[in-house]
Order: sequence, then structure tokens, then C-alpha cells
Amino acid sequence: MRNYLKSLVGITAVLLFFSCGSSTTEQSFDSSKLTRVSQDEVDKLIEAFIMAEDSSTIDIPAGFYEMKTQLILDNKSGIKIKGAGMDQTVISFRNLKTGGEGIKLVGNDISIEDLSIEDAPGDGIKAQHADGVTFRKINVTWTNGDKSKNGTYAIYPVQCKNVLIDECIASHSKDAGIYVGQSENIVVKNSLAFGNVAGIEIENCDNAEVFGNTARDNAGGILVFNLPGLPKSDGKGTKIYDNDVIDNNHENFATPLGDGPNGNTVTMIPPGSGIVLLAAKEVEVFGNRILRNKTTGIAIASYQITGFPAEAPNWSPYTTDIYVHDNHYERNWYQFPDFSRELGKLVLVYNAYGFGKSQDIIYDGIWDKKPGTTIDMNPMRVCIQEPEIENLRFTRFVLTEGEENIDSFREYQPFQNCKVEVKTEVSRLAAL
Amino acid sequence: MKSKNLGNRNWIFTISHLMVGMIFFFSCQKQVQQESLSPETVLEEETADGIFPYLRLSTYGFFEGDIKNLKPVADLIFYQPASSLFTDNAFKSRFVYIPEGEKAQLEGDDLSLPLGSVLVKNFFYPADFRNPQGDRRIIETRLMIREENGWQAYPYVWNESQSDAVLKVIGGEFEISYVDLQGKQQLVSYLVPNKNQCKGCHNKNEIMAPIGFQTKHLNHSLDFVQSPSNQLEFLTETGKLEGFKGASKHPGMVNYEDESQALAQRAMAYLDINCAHCHSAEGPASTSGLFLTYDQKDPMKLGINKTPVAAGSGAGGFKFDIVPGKPDESILVHRMNSTQAGIAMPELGRTTVDKKGLELIKAWISNME
Repeated sequence: MRNYLKSLVGITAVLLFFSCGSSTTEQSFDSSKLTRVSQDEVDKLIEAFIMAEDSSTIDIPAGFYEMKTQLILDNKSGIKIKGAGMDQTVISFRNLKTGGEGIKLVGNDISIEDLSIEDAPGDGIKAQHADGVTFRKINVTWTNGDKSKNGTYAIYPVQCKNVLIDECIASHSKDAGIYVGQSENIVVKNSLAFGNVAGIEIENCDNAEVFGNTARDNAGGILVFNLPGLPKSDGKGTKIYDNDVIDNNHENFATPLGDGPNGNTVTMIPPGSGIVLLAAKEVEVFGNRILRNKTTGIAIASYQITGFPAEAPNWSPYTTDIYVHDNHYERNWYQFPDFSRELGKLVLVYNAYGFGKSQDIIYDGIWDKKPGTTIDMNPMRVCIQEPEIENLRFTRFVLTEGEENIDSFREYQPFQNCKVEVKTEVSRLAAL
Repeated sequence: MKSKNLGNRNWIFTISHLMVGMIFFFSCQKQVQQESLSPETVLEEETADGIFPYLRLSTYGFFEGDIKNLKPVADLIFYQPASSLFTDNAFKSRFVYIPEGEKAQLEGDDLSLPLGSVLVKNFFYPADFRNPQGDRRIIETRLMIREENGWQAYPYVWNESQSDAVLKVIGGEFEISYVDLQGKQQLVSYLVPNKNQCKGCHNKNEIMAPIGFQTKHLNHSLDFVQSPSNQLEFLTETGKLEGFKGASKHPGMVNYEDESQALAQRAMAYLDINCAHCHSAEGPASTSGLFLTYDQKDPMKLGINKTPVAAGSGAGGFKFDIVPGKPDESILVHRMNSTQAGIAMPELGRTTVDKKGLELIKAWISNME
């Protein structure tokens, strides 16, 4: 019996290691205990958003608000939206039948704080064309069982200027929990992103700092992307520092289980990715604790790796001017890279350390081939200066010689003796 | 061992019962409370003091005789865009009021209305679509008023007895039943947008803007009693428009329902009136890089072999917005064919699928090389 149990435990353990990834439905608190407010109070809230006058405060008292329509703030200035605390004021969009997001904010100098947003069919809260928008102590989540039915982004500022996200929680979104797109001057700090496909994502943005956050139990922890064909074509200047990027081994539920990736780039992210740079420009990654991400701690990749058309005006598919230094890495000896996604399989099979070895840093080695250059000249200026680099697993792939000839190398030296300066300036925002 | 097993079974039994119970519970919860049309609250008499918005539609005095006949007073001018936005098969009638002595202006192709102008749009369902002139129920009348600080939108919801409509900025949801062209009973959860949702579509660089009342939609002939039949020419002749240089000098779109027109033109007309208010460089969906104005020529902006950006579930199992020749692998078709919030496009204004429109777009993509 003992032996039987032992082998059962053994088999279960092996199955767990090999399973597509973990999944979590953890909630920060139980909103079902809150008192549901009356329809009258719901109507008052909708009206408060519609009738808001510049430089005013919308107070949302404690309670559970069940919405059938969106809350939209339309081109107002100096509005403060304030709940009674993220575990006290909960706004649910479970019954919303049309509308792309639960809450939408447009205008200047807007802040929203101390409340929760649940179960929006599209995005949780979106801010667009806002100059000066602060999200503070808000919690945005989905409470469904089947996570592939969850909404896209939890906290979603896009085409904004001067964005501050501070002490927020974003969980269970099927794309990115905290997603800042096509914006400039951005601070994401002291926030928590868990159980999402991507924890925190900075996409086609200029001048961003991401620090003091925890990104755990996502499929990918922190992402910096530049996607082609957007009005804001290519972003640059991001610093990622002092974050905990931990256990990002959640299954990728951006498409239903068993379905492959679709055209959304995030569907390709292999579970077990700590920090991913894709077609990113001028990014500094330092002083982070990057722990137990089973595929790789950091991935540096060009857009070609997605297999999608990689040409667009004013945009480059290459990742350039990267400075990775002074991070702390830990791997779990018993974890294998993901094999549910192509990029996971690439690491699993072709890394430079042998089948099934988790990596700390991978580089796809795709570069803009100019005559006379070689990858050893570090033409994309990818600079890696980790104090214990000799103890880390670094793999540089060779992917440009066809699928039959994929190769990989451990040599980090070509990427070591260099200097890349990344400039950001967000001190005013960070002090808010 | 045996009793333990039994215990387990009991436990499973209880759980399964609980789950069945919960399913019932949740399905009951999902029964959405439908409001009937606005309660017949007795509103105070209102005088037309010129301070907008009025609480009651009747106060504006747009319609003479019995208001529910929607018979416009003399200075309300009927207009109709070449193609119409799909809103759950609702019928619409549209009017523009331009203050006396004032004129709309055409500068280049930009059409603007003077201060105090009002666009009036009625939404109604005939009881039986086979008899559109028969009994009908008017659901809402949306006004867009050109005020000092730009356009403002005001939704008015009609009461049960159809004696008036009242301003309802928070919108609402109403159950509508009608008999369709095939003689089948249809039930629609009709959603009246809240005031700020209006701007989800009526939005040009975050400034409220009319959609139908634009040159490209109005520069065509109405096929009934009006002389001259071109709407912009008619407005010019009646002294309500300045700057019109003749139909051929301005852009114009076809009616996508007109099967005598070229497929591509019909498809582009459909996309323009249904999508381009958001999906243009000036619209809220500029974030996507997918631009669907009738004159879009850039294949990538039109969505051909273009990957989505923030589509989430909207992408379904597909890689590109449009795959030439393959409508069933195109995200555009997938989203038009859904009624689920988060997937369905357009995001607002419909809870059912526009089957005719869908067929048109599918045919168009099928014919692409």
C-alpha cells in the first residue's frame, strides 16, 4: 500500500510537472458578502458619471453595484472618482449586454481609486485620450470559473499621456491585467498582477517606468511589446526595476484550452515567461527578482518570431538597445519549459543546456542583417551584465537558417562588454 | 473501506444535487428584469423656454397632430443617409431642424450645422414587418442638439400609450416583439443607450459629431416626392444649405442594399456606415489601426492579413481581420456574427446579428484575391 501510494504521488508529481501549466481562480476578497445596492442607487451612479461637472468628485458609497449599462466619463477635467475601498465598493458588469468595457474615462486629470470592478465582458476599465489619469488602489478582476470567457484587459489606458497606476490589483484577464498602450509618460508601481495571461504589458509606449510591482502566477509576468500597424507606431524608453516576477507558470488561457494561438500576440506567450521583450526599443531591466518562471526568466525576441507579417510603416520588428543587469534569478530544478506553445517548445528542445532545461535569459538572435555584420558584433545592442552570469542559463538561438537548422549557443560574452543608456523621465508622475 | 466509499458516493450525490440546484439558481438569476416602456408618470407641464434639454419630447413641438404619427411640422426637413446603421432591425425616421434664417454650410466636403440645429431620429418597430404602414411601437427618439459648446445627445424614451417621450439620460432596456417578414414572431431586448454611450459612436477626436448627417451619406437622391431629388441639392434650393457644388463634386456612397451596385462599393458603404464612426483615424477605435471608411485603400488598414491588437475573445480562433477568399477565417465576420458583449461588433446598438449585412461582407471577402 505504501509503495502504491508512493508511486501514485510520484506519478501525480510527474503529471503536474508535465501538465500545460497551473491555473488559479484566487480572489483578493469575497464580494458576494457585500450588500447589493438598490436600482435607484445604481441609476444615481450612472447619472453621476453622465452629469459630472469639471473639478468635482464622484463618491461611490460601499456596496455591490450590478450594472446593465456602461459607466462613461465623457471629456471632463479634474474628476475624482472615489469608492469606499476596493473590498467595500464593488461594481459588477456581469449583466452588461453591449459595450466594449465596463468603465470608460475620457478627459484630463482624472483619478479613480478605492473600488473594485468585476466581470466586464470586454475590458474592465479603459481610459482613452486622457492627459493625466491615475488609477489608485483599484482592483479589477473576473470571478468566472471558465477563465477563457473572461475579459481582455483589466486596467487599460490607451492613447493617453501621463498615466499613473499605483497600488492596484489586476487578475484573471485573458490578455493583460495592466495594459498600457500607445501612450506616453507612464508609471506602473506597487501593483499586483496575478492569474492573467500577461501580468503587466507596455505596448507601443514612450517613456515608461514599471517598478515595485509583483507579477506572479501569470503565463507571462511583464511584457514590453511594439506591434505593427498602429497609429502610435513604435515606442521606446522603458525601465523595469525592483519588481517581483515570480511563478509565472499559469496556463495560457487567451484561447480556450486545446485551441492554438490566434492573431492576438499574447496567445503565443509560453507559460513560464518572466519578462518578455518583443520588438522593444530602449529597455532597461534591472534589480528585479525573477524567480521560478519555468520557461525563461527573460526573453528578448524580434517580431519575426511570431510568424506574422513583420512590415509596417515607421516600425521595426527588431528588439534593440536593451540593457539587462543586476537582476536576481532562481530556477526550480524540477520545472520544465512549457510545451503548449511553439516558443515554449523551442526553449524546451533547442536551448543550449539540454532538453527540458529552464532558462534565465534567452535571445532569439534575429538581427537586422547589414553587410559585414555578424551577431558577435552585437548589432542590435543587447547588453547583458549580470554579476553571476557564469551561473545563469543564457541561450542565444539561431533561427534564421530554417527549421531544420535551429541551433543555440551559451556564449554570453558578445553581449557583455557594452553600454546602453535608456532614458526615462517620470519623476513628477511617480511623486503624485 | 466500504463505508468510506459509500460516504464518498453520498458526498458526490450531494454535490451533484447542489450543482443542479445552483444551475437552476443561476439560470433564474439570469432572467433579466425587463422594463416595460416608461411608466406613465405624470410630468409637470413644461414650457418651451429655449433652455435645452426639455424633459418631454412634445415640448419641442416637432410633430403636429397626434405626436405618435410623427408628422413633422413645416420647418422639420426629412433626410435619409444612403445606407443605414443596423440597430436590431428597428425602423428609423430622421429629420433636421435648422433655425429660421440660418443655413448649413459645406466647406469642401465638411458639412456643418448652425447653432440651434436639431437632428431628430425616431426608432420604431411595426407590429408586423409585412405591413410597415400598420400599427407600430415607437421606442425612442434621439435628439442631437447643436449647442454653444458643440453637439449634445439626448435620448427620449416613449411611453406605453405613445402619447409622449421623456428624457432618460441613463438609457434602459426594453423588450420588443414583432412579426418579421417571414411571419415569425421575434423578440428583441432593445437597449436604449445612456447619454454618454452615444459618444461611443458619435465621436470625432473626442468631440461629439453627427454620423448620418455627413456629405458622403446625404449626397444621393431620395426615390420619392421631393424635387430636386438629391438631398443636398434640395437643401440648397430651399435655402438651407450653402456651398454645394453639385452631386458629382462631392463624395457619395451607394445604398449597400442596392444589389444593382458593385459588390465592393456596397461592402465599403456597409462598413462605413456601420463601423467607420469608430474605426477611423479620428474615431475611438483608432487604437486598433483598422480603418473602415468607404475610401480606404491601404490593405493593412482595411484589415487584410492584419493581426488584431486588443481583440481578446473577439479574435476567436483566427489570425487576421480579413483573409482574402476566406470569410469564415476572418475576424471581421466572426465579430459581426456574434451577439456576445466583448466579441460583438459594433459594440453598441445591436443585440441581434445583421444577417443581410453579414452575407454581404462574406460575399465581398469571398471575392477577394
